[in-house]
Amino acid sequence: MGTLPQLLEEDIQRLDDVLREYLERSDATTALIIDKGGFLITSHGDARRFDLTTIGALASGAFLANQTIANLVHEENFDSVYQQGETFSMFVTNIDESCLLMVIFSSKVGVGMVKYHATDARKQIANQLKTAQDRDPSAGLDLSVLNLADPSALFKRKA
Amino acid sequence: MAIINQATKELQVKIVYYGPAMCGKTTNLVQVHDHVQTAAGNKGKLVSLATSSDRTLFFDFLPIEAMSIKGFKTKFQLYTVPGQVIYNTTRQLVLRGVDGIVFCADSQYEKMTENVESFQNLADNLKSLKLNLNEIPYVLQYNKRDLPNVAPMEYMDFLLNNREVQVPAFGAAAHKCEGVFETLNMITRMLLHKFVNQGQPQYA
Repeated sequence: MGTLPQLLEEDIQRLDDVLREYLERSDATTALIIDKGGFLITSHGDARRFDLTTIGALASGAFLANQTIANLVHEENFDSVYQQGETFSMFVTNIDESCLLMVIFSSKVGVGMVKYHATDARKQIANQLKTAQDRDPSAGLDLSVLNLADPSALFKRKA
Repeated sequence: MAIINQATKELQVKIVYYGPAMCGKTTNLVQVHDHVQTAAGNKGKLVSLATSSDRTLFFDFLPIEAMSIKGFKTKFQLYTVPGQVIYNTTRQLVLRGVDGIVFCADSQYEKMTENVESFQNLADNLKSLKLNLNEIPYVLQYNKRDLPNVAPMEYMDFLLNNREVQVPAFGAAAHKCEGVFETLNMITRMLLHKFVNQGQPQYA
């Protein structure tokens, strides 16, 4: 399984810029970069109307399920998934081994534009991820600042 | 693989509840959802992709935020897998990117074979993802301890916790919320300790 490269703040900024430009060009509503394990990495656009954390987890699961179906019909992969709704539609496409680009857009917006501009956006995202990977693929983050000696429970039951 | 977002000071961790069919995995998540003490907005919606008879079809998903640890918002994503043998492909999908595992076993004597098979299935599925049970923090939960025909905890340890390194095991009656938070807190603590010791999580 591929792992995410380490991303600095400047990487996140660049990814956000790519998503912003993509939304402007495609007229889509919200764009998300999701780790295939189900984590939301970053998003741009309207976040108030949608539960992006849950959407990210479900979209990742659905995409991976489709990948398995692809293998069963002797395809290496279905590169993207498009779901058409009455109000909003959804498009998910592969970025690299670890990440997905997910787009939520009004059903009045043509899916052709969303798909067309996604090609460029995912290349830029993949390039930025590769830049980050090449920068220092082995370094880790020092988590020793976390005080785990604290014996209090992380999760507490309501009294 | 956990993600740390340096820009927003967030730590995201994935915990999967694994075990045989009808052992109480979904019940654990329902109880956490219903009883966890969190600040407003820190508990997400419990999403269940289940059949009409409430059997988990794909997974259950509960995003939840624990209290801040030294300035890091710790966001936990709790998943369950479907227990039925035929849904093995689905279990493999859900295990992708897992950081910690709760293996939920049914304490009833007649379920011991299913428990052992499911545990072996977990090891096999991790192997297919190039992961190793020895390297992933996991805890055991012996659920349904309130039923009359349960096997002794020592016997369940002998069957499921008989590896080179023994892991923490908890008796539970998940539908009464007994043992649920003890289990969750232990797996949380174990995997955060692992991160501190190894410095492995990726950060965004």
